[in-house]
Amino acid sequence: MNILSTGEKGSRHLLMGNEAIARGALEGGISVAAGYPGTPSSEIIESLAKISKDHHLYVEWSTNEKVAMEVAAAASFARLRSICVLKQNGLNVASDFLLHLAGSGVRGGMVIIPCDDPGALSSINEGDTRHFARLLEIPLLEPGDFQEAKDMTKWALELSEELQTVIMMRSVTRLSHASGSVVLGDLPEFGAKAEFRHEGFLLDPNEGIVSSAPVEIKHSQQQEKVKKAVEKFETSPFNTYTGPESPELLVITSSACNLYSREAINILDVKDRVGILKLGTTWPLPEKLVAEHLKKCEKILIVEEVIPFMEENLKMLAQELAPQIGQKTLMGKRDGYLPMVNELNPDLVINAISKILGIEYQAVPEEYATGTLQKTFFGAPVREWIFCPGCPHRASYWSINQVLKLDNNQGFVCGDIGCYTIGTLPSGFSTLKTLHSMGSGTGIASGFGKLKPFGMKQPVLSVCGDSTFFHAAMPALVNAVHNKSDITMVVLDNSGTAMTGFQPHPGLEANAEGNDAIKLDIKSVCESMGAYVKESDPFDLDNTREVLFEMLEKKDGVKVLILRQICALSPEKKGKKMFEMAVDESRCKGEKCGCNRLCTRIFRCPGLFWNKEKGTSKIDEAICAGCGICSEICPIGAISKKEVTQ
Amino acid sequence: MEILGSKELMEQVRSKGLCTTCGACVDICPYHQSHKGRIALTFDCDIAQGQCFAVCPQTEFDANELSELMFQVPFQNLPLGHYRSVKSAKATDKIIKGNFQNGGTVSALMMFALEEKWIDSAVLTGSKELVPEPVMADSSEDIAKCGTTKYMATPTLSLVNKSAREGRKKLGVVGTGCQMKASASIRSNPMNKDEYKDAIALSLGLFCTWSLDTREFLDYLKSRVGREQVISMDVPPPPAEIFVIKTENGELELPLSEIREMTQEACATCPDMTAEWADVSVGAFEGKPGWNTVIIRSQKGEEWVNAAVEAGYLVLDDLPDESLDHLIQGAGNKKKRADNAKHEEVQ
Ligand SMILES: Cc1cc2nc3c(=O)[nH]c(=O)nc-3n(C[C@H](O)[C@H](O)[C@H](O)COP(=O)(O)OP(=O)(O)OC[C@H]3O[C@@H](n4cnc5c(N)ncnc54)[C@H](O)[C@@H]3O)c2cc1C
Ligand code: SF4
Ligand code: SF4
Repeated sequence: MNILSTGEKGSRHLLMGNEAIARGALEGGISVAAGYPGTPSSEIIESLAKISKDHHLYVEWSTNEKVAMEVAAAASFARLRSICVLKQNGLNVASDFLLHLAGSGVRGGMVIIPCDDPGALSSINEGDTRHFARLLEIPLLEPGDFQEAKDMTKWALELSEELQTVIMMRSVTRLSHASGSVVLGDLPEFGAKAEFRHEGFLLDPNEGIVSSAPVEIKHSQQQEKVKKAVEKFETSPFNTYTGPESPELLVITSSACNLYSREAINILDVKDRVGILKLGTTWPLPEKLVAEHLKKCEKILIVEEVIPFMEENLKMLAQELAPQIGQKTLMGKRDGYLPMVNELNPDLVINAISKILGIEYQAVPEEYATGTLQKTFFGAPVREWIFCPGCPHRASYWSINQVLKLDNNQGFVCGDIGCYTIGTLPSGFSTLKTLHSMGSGTGIASGFGKLKPFGMKQPVLSVCGDSTFFHAAMPALVNAVHNKSDITMVVLDNSGTAMTGFQPHPGLEANAEGNDAIKLDIKSVCESMGAYVKESDPFDLDNTREVLFEMLEKKDGVKVLILRQICALSPEKKGKKMFEMAVDESRCKGEKCGCNRLCTRIFRCPGLFWNKEKGTSKIDEAICAGCGICSEICPIGAISKKEVTQ
Repeated sequence: MEILGSKELMEQVRSKGLCTTCGACVDICPYHQSHKGRIALTFDCDIAQGQCFAVCPQTEFDANELSELMFQVPFQNLPLGHYRSVKSAKATDKIIKGNFQNGGTVSALMMFALEEKWIDSAVLTGSKELVPEPVMADSSEDIAKCGTTKYMATPTLSLVNKSAREGRKKLGVVGTGCQMKASASIRSNPMNKDEYKDAIALSLGLFCTWSLDTREFLDYLKSRVGREQVISMDVPPPPAEIFVIKTENGELELPLSEIREMTQEACATCPDMTAEWADVSVGAFEGKPGWNTVIIRSQKGEEWVNAAVEAGYLVLDDLPDESLDHLIQGAGNKKKRADNAKHEEVQ
C-alpha cells in the first residue's frame, strides 16, 4: 500500500519532504513528471514513478535536465499539468531552455522543483538556484515545512496555470530528505485531455504558437504576469508572521531556515522580543506585506541559505520604502552575522540573534564543544570517501593509473560527476586531475587534445559514467571527433545511475516506470561517431591494461574504451559473491614483504584489512564483495579466490 | 654506505635524470615498474631502506668494498678498471649459429656456462618487434636468439629480481657497464636477503659509450625503416661517424650525430666504457672485424674464459699493444667527458 496513492483526505502521515512534494503534485492534478536523478531531489520522481499507473501519470527519467524541462513543458503546452524535478546544478543545464520558456509562457500549470544542497552534503557545489528566478523573471516559492511542501506544490500548479507562467518552487536537502507530519488533501479525478492548439492568432497565449518572440511583447507580458503573482503573494497564506506586535527584532526567513529560526527563538526564550516573518513567496517580494512588517521595528535579521538573496532584495525594497517607513537596519550575511557558505543551523541563528540582542548565550558551551570534538576525533574511526568493496571503479582506476604511470608521459585524466568523482581521492589513486560538471571531463579533454601545436605532449584522457555519457558527454565526444582532438575517453559503465540510486538511463532496457524501453548501445553510438572503440571488463586487469596501452599508442584521434561491469551495490549483484576470497597467511609475508602492504595501503578495498597481531592481510568476510581483484593485485599471490557456484 | 629507500631513489636518481634504465630496481616490488624502456614509480613507498636504493648503480657506493668482493683487491681508479689480461676472441663453429654482433664471444661464453652448468639460466636482452626486452635464456638456442646489440636502454636486470622471487639461483647476466655495477651490488647482497644470495653466478659486461632512449629511438627507427625487418645495427669504428642499420632489404647509413642526440640523459655522466664491475667484459675489436676485445677481470672470469677455450667454444688471441693503448685512451676519454659533464651539471 502506498500512502501517496491511497492516503485519505484529512489523514495525517509522516512523510519525507520529497514525498510531500510528490503528493502535492498529485493533489495538484499533474499528468506528467520528468527529471534527472540528483540528490536530494530523486525521490520525487521515484515516488511518482511507482504509482504512475494508478494515477494515469507519465513519469520519466530524462536524458538530462534540459530535456526533462522540455518534456514537462510539452505537457503544459498540451494543457496538462506537469512538474520538472532536478538538483541545483540541473537548473544550469536546463537554463537555456528556461529563458525561452519564461518568455513563451505555459498553458497547463508547470512547476520547476529544484532541490538545492546547502552545505554540499551530496554535491560538489552548493549553488543557490533562487537567482534563476530573478534572471528568468519567474515567481519563486519556498516551502517552510513539510505540510507546506505538499500544499505549496498544489498551489504553485494552480497559480502557474492561472498566470500562464512557469513557476519555480525551491526545496533544500533538509526539507527534501527529512520527514514531518503532513495532513493530506483531496486527489482530483483524472481525465485531463492533451491537445496542442496552434492554429489561432499568432500571439494568442492559448491557441497561437508558443515562442518567446516577438521579444518586446512577450517580455512585457511576462513582467505583467510577475506583477500579478506579487498581488497574489500579498495575501498568500504561505507568508506568516508570529511574534509580538512590536518586536525588538524581526527575523525574516524562508525554507528550512524557518525551522532553525523558530528553534533558536524557543531556545533563547525570546518569543516576546523577536518576531518571525516567514516568507513562502520569496521572489518578487510582496511589497505591501513586507512594508507592513518592516514598520514594526528597527532591526531586521534575514536568515536564509546559502547566499544573501532575500537579503539583497529586502535591502533594495527597504531603501525604496525608507521615505514611508524610515531607515531600517537590515542584518544578515553581508555584515557577517551569518555565514555566506555552508548550511545554517539553530546554533548559528542563536549566535546571530543573541549578538544583536546583547544576550549572553553560547549556543554550544566551549567545554561541550571541545569535549565532543575530542571524543569524535579519538573515538570515531576516520571515514573517508572511498569506493565500495567490489566497486568496478576501483579496478578501472587501478588500470588507468598504472598505465599512465608506466607510460610515463605525464598523462592525466579529466573527470566529472558520479561515484567515479572519488577518482580525485586516494581510493581512486588520485587519478582524476580535473573535476567539473557532468560531461565536462570529455569537453575539457577535447580542448586539451588540441594543444599539441602549443607544445603539449601529455596523453589526455577523460572518464564519464554511462548515464553521464548520454546526459552531456555525447556533444563533447562529437566535438572531439569532429575537431580531430587526440583523446582517450573511458566510459565507466556500471549499468545504472548508481550514485543516485540506480535510476535507469537510455543505455538500459527499462524506463522510470519499469516498462520496456529502447536500449542505446554506447559502443555503437561512439563507433557511428567515428571513434575507435573497444570494450573491456575492468575486472580483467590484464586486458584492460593492454587495451589502454594500445589506445595511448594510437596517438591520433578519438579513442573510446568502455569499461563495463555492474555496480557492486546493484540489485542484481548485491549480496552475491563471485568469489570466496582468502588470504593465505603462510604466504603473506606482511611487513617483511617488499610490497609495503600494497593491498591495504594502496589498493585499500574495505574488504581487506591489516591484521596487526599476525602482521598479515586479512579478508573481512562480512564486507568483501567477492570481486576477486585483490588476488591479482597481490604480487606474491597470497590472496586466493574460489569461484562461488550459485 | 647508508642504504635509503624508494623516496630517496626518486629524489637522488630518477628525478635528476640519472636513471640508466638498468632495471635493477624493477620488479623487486610492485612500485618500480618498467614499460617500453622507461622506469616508473607506480605508487609511493615509504619503506626506509630498500633493495632498490641499495643496488641502483647511481646511488652512492663503496668502491673498495665492491672491488674486494669482485676482484679481492682495493679499488684503483684505472681507465679500464681492474683486469688480469686483455685478449681478442671469437666464437668457434662449435656453437649454435646465431646473428652475432661481432665475434659472438658473448654468446659463446654464455652457452658454455649454461651447458656446463656454471649457471642455471642466462639473463639477456632480446627484442620483440624492434622493442628490446629482457629475456630469460634456458638453452643455447635461446642465447643464440638474443644475438646482436640493441642500442637502446633496457631494464634487463628486472629479470634478476623476478627470478630471485621465484627462487632461482646461479644466473649469468649480460649487460652494459651500469648493469654490471648493479649486478655486482646485487651479488654483495646489501640487504642480506635469502633470495639474492648466490642469485648471480657470472656477470658478463659489454663495452658501452652510450645507450639510446628507447622510445625516442623507436619512433625514429620506425620513421626510417617503416615495416622492414631489422637484422642488426652497428657503429663502425671511427672515423666513419655513421650508424648502420641492416634490414632485409639492405643497409641504411645514418649520421651518427643524429643518433647520439637520442642518448639517454644518464649516459652523459657515465665514466665506465668497459664494464668495469664484470667478471669478463667484451666489446668489438675495432681493428679486426668478426672479433671481440675481451677484458678478463676476476679470477672466476679467467677460469671461465679458459674453460670455454679448452672446451672449444672460443678461440683467443693476443691483443696488439697499439689496440690496448687505443682502448685505454678511449676509456680515459669517456671518464674525462663524464667528469666535465658532471661539472657542468653542478654549475
Ligand atoms: C648499448 C650498447 C652500446 C655498446 N657500445 C659499444 C661500444 O661503444 N664499443 C664497443 O666495442 N662495444 C660496444 N657494445 C658492445 C658490442 O656492441 C657487442 O655487444 C659486443 O662486442 C659483443 O659482441 P658479440 O658478437 O660477442 O655479441 P653477441 O654474441 O651478439 O651477444 C650480444 C649480447 O648483447 C646483449 N645485448 C644486446 N642489446 C643489449 C642491450 N641494449 N643492453 C644490454 N645487453 C644487450 C644480448 O643479451 C646478447 O647476449 C655496446 C653494446 C650495447 C648493448
Ligand atoms: S639506474 Fe637502474 S636501479 Fe637506478 S633507478 Fe634507474 S633502473 Fe633503477
Ligand atoms: S653509457 Fe654508461 S650509463 Fe649509459 S648505458 Fe652505457 S654503461 Fe650504462
